[in-house]
Amino acid sequence: MLDFLTSFSPAFILIAAGVLAAFIPASNISSPVRKALLIGAPALALVLINTTFFSQNQSTYLGGTMSFAGIELTTLRIDNLSIIWGYIFCFAGILNGIFGLHEKCKITDTSALIYTGAGIGAVFAGDLITLFIFWELLALSSVFIVWRGGPKSYPAGMRYLAMHILSGVLLLAGLVIYGRATGSYAFNNIGLDAPGGWLMLLAFGIKAGFPLLHNWIQDAYPRSSVTGTVILSVFTTKLAIYALARGVAGTEMLIYIGGIMAVFPVFFAVLENDLRKVLAYSLNNQLGFMVAGVGVGSTLALNGVAAHVVIDILFKGLLFMSMGAVLHRVGTTKASELGGLFRSMPYTAVFCMIGAAAISAVPFFGGFVSKSMIIAAVFEDGQFIVFAMLLFASAGVLEHSGIKVPYFAFFAHDSGKRVREAPWNMLVAMGIAAFFCIYLAIPGPFGGMQYLYNMLPSEVAGEAKFIPYSADHVVFQMQLIMAAVFAFALLKRVGLYPPERRAQILDFDWTYRRLGLALVKWISAIWSRLGAFVTYMLKKFFGMIGRRIYQVFSPAGTFSQDAPSGIAAVLISGMLAAVLLVVYFF
Amino acid sequence: MSDNKPTLSPQEIVDRAEAHPAAVPFLWLGSHKTQRNFIYIPLAGMIIFSVLGFVFPPKYPTLWEYGLSYAAIGFFSYSFVVLAAHPLFKMLSRPENYYGEDGEELELEGDVDNGEGSDA
Repeated sequence: MLDFLTSFSPAFILIAAGVLAAFIPASNISSPVRKALLIGAPALALVLINTTFFSQNQSTYLGGTMSFAGIELTTLRIDNLSIIWGYIFCFAGILNGIFGLHEKCKITDTSALIYTGAGIGAVFAGDLITLFIFWELLALSSVFIVWRGGPKSYPAGMRYLAMHILSGVLLLAGLVIYGRATGSYAFNNIGLDAPGGWLMLLAFGIKAGFPLLHNWIQDAYPRSSVTGTVILSVFTTKLAIYALARGVAGTEMLIYIGGIMAVFPVFFAVLENDLRKVLAYSLNNQLGFMVAGVGVGSTLALNGVAAHVVIDILFKGLLFMSMGAVLHRVGTTKASELGGLFRSMPYTAVFCMIGAAAISAVPFFGGFVSKSMIIAAVFEDGQFIVFAMLLFASAGVLEHSGIKVPYFAFFAHDSGKRVREAPWNMLVAMGIAAFFCIYLAIPGPFGGMQYLYNMLPSEVAGEAKFIPYSADHVVFQMQLIMAAVFAFALLKRVGLYPPERRAQILDFDWTYRRLGLALVKWISAIWSRLGAFVTYMLKKFFGMIGRRIYQVFSPAGTFSQDAPSGIAAVLISGMLAAVLLVVYFF
Repeated sequence: MSDNKPTLSPQEIVDRAEAHPAAVPFLWLGSHKTQRNFIYIPLAGMIIFSVLGFVFPPKYPTLWEYGLSYAAIGFFSYSFVVLAAHPLFKMLSRPENYYGEDGEELELEGDVDNGEGSDA
């Protein structure tokens, strides 16, 4: 049985569970079965990944091979790089399942299982065609989760789908060009010089939220349901980071793209009133750190990227869960409507603060280990400008995720809202995520930092040895954090901290949601008017011809009028002469 | 006649009654006085860690990494981000229904459960 289960990608187990969940009736009796699938399928996949990889002695396991149109596909490639993504995707799938236990929605459960399966399938894809298939499945399955936000999330879902279909088309074009030129579809280091390399980078960049291609994250994620946003925050963007790490690691351009990605969302996050949208910008900001690390491409950098993916999924999931719990109980995540919720939701507040500490890289919280690895790698690579940008972004992270989210939701002025604490399943999911946010950052025999290190992709652990808990590192990190918190308190006290106001903040999506739409409407209007004008002119032209013919040939026309026979003879002679001339010369 | 005086104000009694039992010992966090005096904690922390910065100099000193520099980076970066929000808000903010998608409000009536119903 085990041999059979390990002979193909565990993604298929999750997808099959998703299909099965779709056929389970939506009733109180059958709902627990669907929920059991939601938690059990990723748990089984986790066990299978571990068993498959460690039951053999090689550094890479290749399996699930099949032939498609004469091309050999490898649907299961487990190695040091993919396994860490596989682990955390399965773990996140379990956490999402627990968090969504209260929700009795068949569509969310089905989509979540297929979406998780697609993410895992793409991570373990050994070739570009398998990657493309799961890449598209990821987009198609997740859009239903976006649409679970209600009718008003449909336009955002359509824009989300359009962006991801575009990403898929670019990936397909790139892989076809690459495959025809090299004769191989293997998904290894591609590089930008390879044929189709740029197209694939663009495809990865859309999913990773590169600057100007990022708006689908802030557009779609905050519009999904309570559970939906938590699920969405895990897979798509982290898969893109995996694809970048696998395909184009060490591309210098990515260091600068990462630096920009880390910095610009900070300015938007401070303006936003919707705390889930703030977290969506924060997601972009953290992806910037990862992209910069991929760009450096050193052992330390790639280890840092892998570690940060794990930690980011935990703390970002935790923050999205806490805001999901607030939305579930209060009905809004607008900062202007919240405040003082620690009175009603103390456990959620504590979990949110743990997530905030982890993302802010407070010592003994997750981000302190993983983010520091990336920043150190950027520094060691001599990229001092990007290093300074990442330091600036670290202070910015403190503003939007470290302070703004917990402060405006749970403290600040008392909104007077008195609700019950989050449901027990949400608290359990948040509790587990919070535990690992701390545990994985604790060094020594009782901490889990070594477990995190053991999972990292580096084959030369000695070279990538990174000791985050040196006295100078802790001291200078605490300087940065304390100074930023002091700045917050000071600005609040002197009244310079901007109030939370309800507004739509314009971002680059204005170009297609407003300018592009206006352009399309203008072209459409011009086309309609032009069509009407052309029709009018044609009618006028043919009307004129008709009238002229009528004037000549009708019973009342010129040819029917009485005329002297002499004139007729002259006309006939003239026509005969014209015919003779034509015949003679041509 | 009993000389027991109430130690809690009527408002505090209401606050305690309304709060989650686990939050009752921490209700002082919501007081105006606490929030106003919170500033002294990061101030003290910043001073202490700045002094420690001289004891434990950075492993990789660069131009911006002497003495108080990380504190300066933290303070000025944070202040810049927050202060930049004022002109940026004027420049980039529009009414909530700017895109015609009804104020970005979610219709999550099915999801919202303020606790009156049963949990999972």
